Order: sequence, then C-alpha cells, then structure tokens
Amino acid sequence: MPERIRVVVNEDRCYLCGGCAGVCPTLAIEVHASGWEFFQDKCISCRICINACPVGALSAEPLEVKE
Amino acid sequence: MSWKYDVVVVGSGIAGPIIARNVAKAGYSVLLLDKKPAIGSPKQCAEGISIRVFDKYDIPYDKRFINREIYGAKLYSPGGYELELRYKEVSGVILERKVFDKMLAHYAARAGADVLARTEALDVIRQDGKIAGIRAKHEDEPVEIYADIIVAADGVESMIARKAGINTYAPPHEFDSSYEYEMLIEGFDPDLIHLWFGNEIAPRGYVWVFPKDEDRANVGIGIASDHPETAKYYLNKWLRENGIPSRKILEINVGVVPVGGFVKELVKDNVLVVGDAARQVNPMHGGGMAEAMEAGTIASKWIVKALEEENLSLLQNYTKEWWETDGKRLEKVLKVRRVTEKLTDEDLDLFIQILSGADAEKIASGDYAEVIKALLKHPKVLMSRRRLSLLKELL
Repeated sequence: MPERIRVVVNEDRCYLCGGCAGVCPTLAIEVHASGWEFFQDKCISCRICINACPVGALSAEPLEVKE
Repeated sequence: MSWKYDVVVVGSGIAGPIIARNVAKAGYSVLLLDKKPAIGSPKQCAEGISIRVFDKYDIPYDKRFINREIYGAKLYSPGGYELELRYKEVSGVILERKVFDKMLAHYAARAGADVLARTEALDVIRQDGKIAGIRAKHEDEPVEIYADIIVAADGVESMIARKAGINTYAPPHEFDSSYEYEMLIEGFDPDLIHLWFGNEIAPRGYVWVFPKDEDRANVGIGIASDHPETAKYYLNKWLRENGIPSRKILEINVGVVPVGGFVKELVKDNVLVVGDAARQVNPMHGGGMAEAMEAGTIASKWIVKALEEENLSLLQNYTKEWWETDGKRLEKVLKVRRVTEKLTDEDLDLFIQILSGADAEKIASGDYAEVIKALLKHPKVLMSRRRLSLLKELL
C-alpha cells in the first residue's frame, strides 16, 4: 500500500491549467475558473498529479492513519 | 434558472465553437459555454497551425489572429546537427489564440448559437437513467441546462465526459507536461519554427521556438509528464545553457497534453467527447488544433443528422467515422512516436545529420517513407541491428 497522502497546492505557483485534473484517474481534483479543489475521499495517493504538474505546484502531505 | 437547447457544448476552445457554429447553421438551438471569463485566454498552446485548415474548416484567414506566416521548420539534434525544411510558400501560421478562439466563438454566435463565458459546467443531470443536461454556474448563479445532446469539449480535464461515464482515462506516461514563455528572443530565423531534440534537453519531448514577430516568440517545452523534474525546470535550463536572456517575458503558459492515444468510445448515448478531452492530439508534436477541427467537423455532421432524423443512435457514427479516418491516421503517427521515444541522443545526431544531406524537398513534403529510405541507406544505420529494427517498425 502506498503511503496515504493529501495533495496540497501552492497557489502562488499554480496557473489553474487543469493538467492535474486531467491526469487524475479518479476525478479527485477539480480546477474551477476561480480555484483548485481537492477531494480527499476520491484520492488514491498515486501521486500522478504531483509529477505531472508543469510547474511543481503540487506536493503531498502524509495523511494521518487512524489506529 | 433552467434553459432548454437542442445541443449544449461545454468548452469554447477549438472543437467546441466549430461544433456550435455548424449545428447553429443547420438551424438547431445550441448553447456554447466556457468557464473562463475571456474565451481564448489563457492559452495552452504554441499557436502553430497548418495553412490548410482555413479553407478546410471554413475559417476566415483574418489577420487579426494571425501573428506571423511561417515557411517551414528547422530541427536541431543534441550534438548540434541541423535540418532545415523550407518551403517556397507559406506552410503555416502562428496564431494569436486569445483572438482566434474568441473569433471562433463569434462565428458560432453569428451563426445563431448562444455563447456564454464565465459559465462553468459542474456536473451532468441524470433523469430516468439518461443524461438530460448539465448543471452549471454562471458567475455565482446556478443554472440547469437541458439538452438533447451534450458535447464535452472541455479540454484535458475531460470532466463532463468522465462524469457522463465516458472512459477518457489515460496513464501518466501518455501525457506531456508543458511550459512556455512568450518572450523577446533574437538569433533565430523568424520565418521558421525551431525544434530541439535530445534526452537531456527535453526528455521524450522537445523545445520549441515559434516566432510571433521578428524578435518575439513562443518558447516552450514538452516533457513526459511522469518525469520527476518539471517542464519549467527543463525550459529554464535550456535557456540558461544557450545563453538566451530571459528577462523579457510577456506571458507564461502552462498545460498538460495527451500524447499517447485516443479515447476509444467517443459517444455514450447522447454525450459526445471531442478535442483534447478525447485525447485527439497529434502524438508526434503534441498539437491538437487541426485534430480538434476535424473531430468537431465529424461530430457536428452526425449531431445534425441525429437531430434531423430524431434518432440519437446515429451519434455513434461519430466514433465510427473518426476512427476510420483521422483516428486511423493518428494511430500511424502514434506508432512513429513510439519509435522516436526509443532514440538515443546518438541516434538523433546521426539521423538529423543524414537527413540534412538527403533530398530535402522529398523530406520536406512529409513523406515518412522517403525519410526512412534516406536513413536506411547510411552505413551507420545498416550496421546497427538496433537502429535497423527501430526503423523497420515504421515500415
């Protein structure tokens, strides 16, 4: 199992290009005209979006596992 | 608010307004919407397009969106070999997308379509097991748009197509990440587009200079989207290593491009997917405008037929016709791409060196067979089993 993550955006780097939403296999990211939105319940922690971002605006934070 | 149209088109890039225009011309009601406050801006594009598309898709050759006419291309290998392909006639143009896209939407509106900027599609509306329309938001105002036919022309995100249940998934290595400056740059022939190849320069992609003026160009890069470094990192590295001053930046553009294959099922019941959303992009160079125009033309033909005959099952013919025509062509291009991905820097040096000494006119005509023939004549190709087998994959 890959480490469970939360994807966070650096809004100062992000151009709202929609690329992360395009590569996301599960529709866990939506890019609106006015902002970037992440849906934790859909994310499968695959990190594809983080690699694909042309400007490195996305990063991962570990998601705390409930014991 | 609740509206009803024959057709709703989500996304006003290239494919969207072509479809809206064609459907409106046939006399049907159509709404074209785009989430951006200004249609055409920001672009995600190097703005180069073949001169042939204007006649072919009935688009006026309007100087308001043509920055510069281009006469060919110059290719650079990692070791510094060059291949120039120059035509006597104009072969392409560098557009101004923020004007071009807006004008395409203008043509759609003039033909009778309604067009609404700053209107974002949020989800599909399902009724009795069917998709009855879309939920959208104009500024902060919710609106339900009911339509017999829904066109998802919503770009790489492909959100509406996916919410409608069309499988547009592609794995990460089938995308390129792109980063581009529009900047002042000198020292490159402004009548040609310029492309640099090399695994250290642009992993699996290339760097481009597309001149918009004597001293101004789109300077960009595409690299494999699953590469750990960013596209921005590689473009800045290239500019630095080539001593190109980069403090005259007029615009920065960013995007992700589907370059590894095409959506199989382009229609689900009354929903069609087209353009980048359908991954209908030339996998060799990552350009998708001409492909979007072609797919949009085919899609609009079957939308009109389906409405005329009140038979939505005719929409399936869009999938069929696209795959039999442009899909077939692009599958071949994809095959070439898969071979070029395996080329080492030494291969690129050798191939460009050989081709620069070959019959440039035949090569410039874009005849792949001629290119391969020229390469196969060379002893350094003939003596290499690996190179031979790569080239034979193309025949």
